[in-house]
Amino acid sequence: MQVPDDAVKVTEDTLTISLKNISVVDQFQFPGGAGNNLGTAGFPATVSFDITYTKMGSPRQVRPASSDPLSPLNWAGKMWMATNSGSFSLSYNDGTFSAQGNFDSSGNFGEMGTEKNGSFLREHDEIDQADSEAPPLVTNENIATAPKLSEAKKLEENIPKLKGRIPVKDLIHEP
Amino acid sequence: MRRVLFGSLALLFLTGVAVWGQVQVPTVQPLPLPGGDVISPYGLFNQFVPGVGSIYDGLNADPHGITNFRGVTAMGYTLGLATDNSGKTYQVITDVRVYQGDYVGAQPTFPAGGSTSAKAHGTFVEI
Repeated sequence: MQVPDDAVKVTEDTLTISLKNISVVDQFQFPGGAGNNLGTAGFPATVSFDITYTKMGSPRQVRPASSDPLSPLNWAGKMWMATNSGSFSLSYNDGTFSAQGNFDSSGNFGEMGTEKNGSFLREHDEIDQADSEAPPLVTNENIATAPKLSEAKKLEENIPKLKGRIPVKDLIHEP
Repeated sequence: MRRVLFGSLALLFLTGVAVWGQVQVPTVQPLPLPGGDVISPYGLFNQFVPGVGSIYDGLNADPHGITNFRGVTAMGYTLGLATDNSGKTYQVITDVRVYQGDYVGAQPTFPAGGSTSAKAHGTFVEI
């Protein structure tokens, strides 16, 4: 569901979401309310909760490992492992049931960061703003053979630049 | 049934209907991820389950539920306890995901509501 931008606060290391009286339907079954479960009766309820996610350690760069649109690996991002903790309250609209509680990640998987997928993901676009702090990819081979930046510029200056239309006959050397 | 409710709180939240409170109805409809986990007998559930281990889709499985999205993502699995209005306690398992950023979704353009692509900004939560 869409919520106002100000329901989420993002700092350098945390993301906090705070929502009050969100309408939900308790379907008692997963997945609920769609597909084979369409029409399954549920209990209208409201939920309020606060959750804070906190980054841990260093980020990892995620680059698309598949171009298959159905693959879980078709996205790019910069992600940190993350812990989270929160509290919630819930009540049925008819007043027959209510509850409140707390939860935390307890060592379970969690992550946060920046990502892009779908139409924002382009071939040869793996290194983008989200990845801009990543060190350049250098292999043992190109360390030895790649010209330094200053040398590369000199090489570039010495290469003849072909501008405009060039008569084909100038490129043909007759014997 | 309430035990089931709290045993799968996050999954219950996934069925949420945007009606009241802070919930907004997006003018540009976000599009679900085209892939996801195939769950029998339900079928394709447009969401992956990131994580390491045999019950997960892998560390680098896309945590997002919306495609054509660029922005901030946060998610995590949790454990906890809840107490109801009669004093009974329950175990709570959650998977709450938050997305904030730009996305390309569907806007109604043709007379019957036929869609075209449109760019928008928004904050979404899957609970």
